[in-house]
Amino acid sequence: MAVERLLKDEATEEKGERARMASFVGAMAIADLVKTTLGPKGMDKILQSTGRGRSVTVTNDGATILKSLHIDNPAAKVLVDISKVQDDEVGDGTTSVVVLAGELLREAEKLTNAKVHPMTVIAGYRMAAECARNALLQKVLDNKDDPEKFKSDLMNIAMTTLSSKILSQDKEHFAKLAVDAVLRLKGSTNLEAIQIIKKAGGSLVDSFLDEGFILDKKIGIGQPKRIENAKILVANTAMDTDKVKIYGARVRVDSMAKVAEIEGAEKEKMREKVQKIIAHGINCFINRQLIYNFPEELFADAGILAIEHADFEGIERLALVTGGEIASTFDNPESVKLGHCKLIEEIMIGEDKLIHFSGVEMGQACTIVLRGASQHVLDEAERSLHDALCVLSQTVNDSRVLLGGGWPEMVMAKDVDNLARRTPGKKSLAIEAFSRALLAIPTIIADNAGLDSAELISQLRAEHHKEKSNAGIDVISGCVGDMEKLGISESFKVKQAVLLSATEASEMILRVDQIITCAPRRREDRM
Amino acid sequence: MAAAVTAPDTTNARSSKTESYVDNKRRDDIRQANILAARAVADAVRTSLGPKGMDKMISSANGEVIITNDGATILNKMEVLQPAAKMLVDLSRSQDAAAGDGTTTVVVLAGSLLRRSLSLLSAGIHPTVISDSLYKLSVRAVDVLHSMAIPLELSDRDSLVKSAATSLNSKVVSQYSSLLAPLAVDAVLSVVDPEHPDLVDLRDIKIVKKLGGTVDDTELIRGLVFDKKVSHTAGGPTRVENAKIAVIQFQISPPKTDIEQSIIVSDYTQMDRILREERNYILGMVKKIKASGCNVLLIQKSILRDAVTDLSLHYLAKAKILVVKDVERDEIEFITKTLNCLPISNIEHFREEKLGHADLVEEVLIGDGSKIIKITGIKDVGRTTTVLVRGSNQLMIDEAERSLHDALCVVRCLVNKRYLIAGGGAPEIDMSWKLGVWAKELKGMESFCVKEFAEALEVIPYTLAENAGLNPISIVTELRNRHAEGETNAGINVRKGQITNILEENVVQPLLVSTSAVTLAIECVRMILKIDDIVTVR
Repeated sequence: MAVERLLKDEATEEKGERARMASFVGAMAIADLVKTTLGPKGMDKILQSTGRGRSVTVTNDGATILKSLHIDNPAAKVLVDISKVQDDEVGDGTTSVVVLAGELLREAEKLTNAKVHPMTVIAGYRMAAECARNALLQKVLDNKDDPEKFKSDLMNIAMTTLSSKILSQDKEHFAKLAVDAVLRLKGSTNLEAIQIIKKAGGSLVDSFLDEGFILDKKIGIGQPKRIENAKILVANTAMDTDKVKIYGARVRVDSMAKVAEIEGAEKEKMREKVQKIIAHGINCFINRQLIYNFPEELFADAGILAIEHADFEGIERLALVTGGEIASTFDNPESVKLGHCKLIEEIMIGEDKLIHFSGVEMGQACTIVLRGASQHVLDEAERSLHDALCVLSQTVNDSRVLLGGGWPEMVMAKDVDNLARRTPGKKSLAIEAFSRALLAIPTIIADNAGLDSAELISQLRAEHHKEKSNAGIDVISGCVGDMEKLGISESFKVKQAVLLSATEASEMILRVDQIITCAPRRREDRM
Repeated sequence: MAAAVTAPDTTNARSSKTESYVDNKRRDDIRQANILAARAVADAVRTSLGPKGMDKMISSANGEVIITNDGATILNKMEVLQPAAKMLVDLSRSQDAAAGDGTTTVVVLAGSLLRRSLSLLSAGIHPTVISDSLYKLSVRAVDVLHSMAIPLELSDRDSLVKSAATSLNSKVVSQYSSLLAPLAVDAVLSVVDPEHPDLVDLRDIKIVKKLGGTVDDTELIRGLVFDKKVSHTAGGPTRVENAKIAVIQFQISPPKTDIEQSIIVSDYTQMDRILREERNYILGMVKKIKASGCNVLLIQKSILRDAVTDLSLHYLAKAKILVVKDVERDEIEFITKTLNCLPISNIEHFREEKLGHADLVEEVLIGDGSKIIKITGIKDVGRTTTVLVRGSNQLMIDEAERSLHDALCVVRCLVNKRYLIAGGGAPEIDMSWKLGVWAKELKGMESFCVKEFAEALEVIPYTLAENAGLNPISIVTELRNRHAEGETNAGINVRKGQITNILEENVVQPLLVSTSAVTLAIECVRMILKIDDIVTVR
């Protein structure tokens, strides 16, 4: 049968079994790649950049690993995307979601090989996911009304999140930092008010939370190093002479004295501008652009603290937390909103001098200063802390909490298993497969810790057969333990997001029966 | 079927069937490759450890040659590519930042720990178990070091000098340690701020390098040194007593506007007038400067226009004002801090209260024709100091500077954390022995790991002895015996080639150097152990 070619020369097309196989293989490869980072004893990866400098990152964060990969498999891309979405939405569980989706697909592959129609598998998965979610909802704990207990919940969640990261040795310290920072936000999920500053040197335990704002800049020479009740003007303006911005503009004069006059006039303009700024009644002036020597001296004479060349992010955040506005014209002092803070002073962190603004207008604002031996450690610590902050801020809004350590997976698997037994038809095979995929997560956690997973999982299952069991894997001692006593908790929102998006992603990949790869675009000159 | 269907990706398909097996193998391989690469780095710097360690000559891509004994410098210049090897380079850099000294020790230590880890891994122990034992070991090791430490007072200058000398002894400049060690101590002590007694900012110590003479001529100057000449083309003074110094950030040259300008001359008389005006303008500025009583001018470099012209130099010379030009903007803060004055950025602001005072500003001739400017006897001098390093060739000066930096760091460590510890391999052997005893109290895998790692710490005395040409095995075993008998401070005396109480030999080092070497090395090894894959990314 001679069929005309439909596609361009280099476009390829894969159909049916083959297409499905390609997506299964791709997705599973991705899942296997990040699988070993799961759980408190998960391993790290080196990310070696092929770009200039061949910089090296060491990380345990699933989202970071996945988003920097080169990927040429469409199904694998779907998994990378869900991990990204998970990162944006809830901030943690980025590895779990990929691993679960991978496991679901692995089970689906077996089913399709056994001639179960993909649509039947999807239908089964849907039912199973719904049932699993309900199972979690029934077991969920909510301590919203009890502030004391809620705070300890938050601590537990933070510690659980951090225990799989580089910060695990000092997790109590960092959990406290993260909880304090998030509680300051008073329910808003605007993590921008939490500033993280990384300073090499010292060790991780030396990291601290500071109320207020820290700017990594120097105070100009000869200016006050300490200001109380500061009135701050945040500006983005050029502090050199105002130039005529027309190309080729030039002055023609006929004597040196006139040149001197013009120079004098330029200086006068600068002085005027400085006078106008001073007329705002401020005692601290922060500019995004350079402040030249001359204005700097004028400010110093007026006893005003002037900070030049603050980075853009820095001044935006500064304007936000001090309650001021970024100004660029200074003609109407009354219309400019000034920022306020109680105290500005210079502080030393490690070897560097920084400027500290305390008692700022926006009470939520705070700064976490991270200390660590090297840049690798600091970067990874920042990522870990960011995860913890995200999870916590989500939990503050949705205070439902679950136990951790593989407990939710066991609970879900048990209910899903029951559902499978009640369901007639081929769907039940898929539902059963779903519960097997759920069980894979505690299995992997145990495997990564070098424990006998088969033994542990069967013990766990037996424990969960009893009513109201709190059993989960205690990785530290290597046996089944009571998760409530060990204080291992997870946020319900994270688990729910993992469950739902993993199911959706695997559904999407299962539906595919044809992959068309478009012909690569060529450069004209190569033809 | 359409002809466009290509062959299925067979390699992927195959790997999916047997993947678990293949994957595990690959993981072991990667870990092994990482450890081997990191160890290769450690072996490269091993021979430079200790007072009889050898130097390395590094010739960089652009033909520059460096001779050094400083671990951090060697590794920095090596340009390694393997990621795990890179982590070792970073490790030595961290040690440099944290303690400033012990950069070789930390790498050698990490290499030895990795060697033991490899044998533990091949015995089938899970990496996380090894990593956890290492953490426990590090906590315990730091305890052992603390128990050995000797408290120190800052007033105890002798001990400070001793520890600086220990650091210098392993460098090229070791024969000058009797000169450089007290110098480093004085330099650091002079910048300690009584309000923050445990903070030292090494940026307050400026090191000026000048070719010529020998390292013997290196001196500490309470004041300022510029590696510059006085501008005396117009015959200005080169020596001023009772100087009143102004740091100016404006230019003494004909006016120039930001806007492009052109002067239109239409006849000859006008030209004359312009020249006269220019002279008057500059003369006016010089007069104002003179009126304030200033007799030394430090002029900041300007990219916009000439800081001084021949004409202004001439007038300044006539007014008996000493001029130093081309001062970098970064240096202004250091200078104003030292001179206790304020920078002046406009002629209108030229007032007497902004000037700094010094007894003497002079241009000094050193070596053959090169000159420097010294400012001494500064009134209300700030907490800064300057070290003038001399040497017979550039390589020597550079190495002297690095060695001096290490010595300064050692003293700074002592200011931060006022404890001393014996040197000469004594702390390592003691840790090794005490941890070995502790390992027997532990149970299971941990005990096994801790025992192995405790032995790994012996690499430092072993290498010290080896580099000194002694028999490492007999030395290390004897050391072990002496420590088991309770001689905590027995160490290798490299000069005599035997084991003595190392404290009596004045070989001491700051506690901070040892603790940070142990903790950083362990942290790095743990990080390498935890890695099971290298992923190439964009």
